[in-house]
Amino acid sequence: MTAKSALPASARAESGLAGLPGAAFLEALDRFPAGVAIVDRARCIRFMNRRLEAMTGYGREEAAGLPCAQVLKSAACVRACPVAAGGDAIGQDTDLLTRSRQRLPVRLSAVPLAEGYCLEVLEDLSPLRDAEKRLAAPFGAGSLLGRSREMERLFGLIPVLAQSDAPVLITGETGSGKDLAAEALHAASPRSREPFLRLNVSPMPEALIESELFGHRQGAFPWAEADKAGAFIAAGRGTVYLAEIGDLPSPQQAKLLGVLDQGLATPVGATSGVKVAARLMVATNRDPEDLVREGRLREDLLRRLGAMRIHLPPLREREGDVEYLLRHFLGTYAAALRKEVTGYAPKALRLLLDYPWPGNVRELKNVVEYAVMVCSGRLVLPLHLPQHVAQHVAESGQARPAKAPARPRRSSP
Amino acid sequence: MSAHTLLVPLLRMDVAPRFDLAVEVLLVGFDESSAETGRQHMMLAHSSADDLCDFILRQGVTVVVANGIEEGYYHYLRWKRVEVLDGVMGPADLVVERFAQGRLAAGDILFERSDARGN
Repeated sequence: MTAKSALPASARAESGLAGLPGAAFLEALDRFPAGVAIVDRARCIRFMNRRLEAMTGYGREEAAGLPCAQVLKSAACVRACPVAAGGDAIGQDTDLLTRSRQRLPVRLSAVPLAEGYCLEVLEDLSPLRDAEKRLAAPFGAGSLLGRSREMERLFGLIPVLAQSDAPVLITGETGSGKDLAAEALHAASPRSREPFLRLNVSPMPEALIESELFGHRQGAFPWAEADKAGAFIAAGRGTVYLAEIGDLPSPQQAKLLGVLDQGLATPVGATSGVKVAARLMVATNRDPEDLVREGRLREDLLRRLGAMRIHLPPLREREGDVEYLLRHFLGTYAAALRKEVTGYAPKALRLLLDYPWPGNVRELKNVVEYAVMVCSGRLVLPLHLPQHVAQHVAESGQARPAKAPARPRRSSP
Repeated sequence: MSAHTLLVPLLRMDVAPRFDLAVEVLLVGFDESSAETGRQHMMLAHSSADDLCDFILRQGVTVVVANGIEEGYYHYLRWKRVEVLDGVMGPADLVVERFAQGRLAAGDILFERSDARGN
C-alpha cells in the first residue's frame, strides 16, 4: 500500500481535510510525535504513521488490511474496542504488546471520521511511567541516594532548579552521580514527558560531534545520505545532557553558545538555523575554572552555564553516607542476586569505612556487588572484599575502629 | 512428526491478539502421522497469562500458537520445553490446518486482507 492511496479521497473530503492533498496529510501524520492509525469500518488498518510502526514493530505495508486489534494487540482493543463503540474515546489508558514481546503503556484516543473510518492516536506513556517510578522511589531525587547534610541540601535544590529553563552546570568527581543528578533534574521538571538525551562526546571526531548535537543536511558529509536531526532537535522540549563539557572542541562550544543565546541550532550543511526548545545540562569532573585556564572551556560559555550550578560532593566528604549506601546496596544486590546476605562483619565494615572511595558511589556500588556475589554466608567478611580495598587500608595505616551505627533517619535521595 | 498437543488462544474464530487476555482456547491433538486425534474448544474462568501457562503444562501441550505474548511468558514456556510460535495472525482453523501440514511458522499472517472500502 502506498501512503498516497491509504485514505480514500472521499474520506479525506468528508472529514474536513479536503483541502489537503493526501500525501501531504499523511506526511504530516508521519511527523506527528504519537502513533496514529486510520482504520476502516471493518476495523482493519488502512494507514499507520512512522511512530506507530516503531511502537508496534509492524511496517505499514505489512499491517495494511489487517484487523487493527491483531496488529496493535492493545488490551483496549480486546476488551472494549473503541472503534466498535463508535470511535469516540479520549485519553483511555491501556497498553499494547509490541512485536518484540514488550508491553508498552499507551494512552489511546479514537476519533470517528466519515464513512465509518476512525482515527486512532496512541501516545507512548513509557517515559511518563518511568518518571513516575523514579519519583515514587523511596529516595526523593531519582536514583541519587544519601542522607548527609550535603546531599539533603542538594535534594532540596533539585526541584527548584528543575522549574527553570536555564542551562545547568553539574560538577563533581567521577562516580559522584552527575548523570543521576541530571536525570533527577529532568524527571522533576515540566519537561519530564519529553526525551532526555545524554551525549558523551569524548570518543567522537569533531564532525560527528557537530552532527550529533546540531544535525546535518543530506550531502553535508560524504556519509550523510539523508537529513539527520541532532540532539537539540530530537529532544524537542526535553533535555540535552552533555556528559563532559571539557571534551567539547572549541568551535562546537561557540556553536553551543549560539544555541543558548539565540535558541537556534544550525545543522551542518544548512544555511539557516532551526528553532530549538530543549534545555541544556552539562557536566564535568574537573574544576570548570581550571578548564578555562587550560583553554579547554570558553570563558563566555562558562559564564552562561555557571548561573545554575550543582556540585556533587565526593563520597568521602558525605558524613554518614558511606555506611548508609553500603547497607542500601547490600539489600539491593542481595535481593537481585537471591543471596541471603544480611550485613557486614565488623572487620569488613571497618575496612569499608576507612577506604577513601576515589571512585565515589559508583565504586562503592561495584564493591558491594562483588562482595555480595562472592559471599556464601549471611555476613560479608574481609575475604569477600576486592583485594585493593583491604590493601589500600593496610598501606595507609591502621584502620580506625568501626563507627557506631548512625542514627536511623528516613532518607531522602 | 512426533505426537503433538497444540493450543491456540482464541478471540472468536481467530488466534487471540493477546495470550494474556484470552478466555477461550482451542486444544488439538495430533498423532505421529500428523492426523488429528481430537479437538476441544474450552472456555477459561478468566484471562490470566499465569493461569494459562499452568493450564498448558497440566494439559501436556507441546506447541502453543499465539499472536502477542509477553517476553517473560514466551521464555518460560520455552524453558518448559513448550514450542511457541508467536506473531501468528489468522483464523484458528486455517492455523491448525497449516500446522498439520508442517507449514506454520512464527510471524505467519493468514488473514485475507480487506480492501480499502473495508470489505
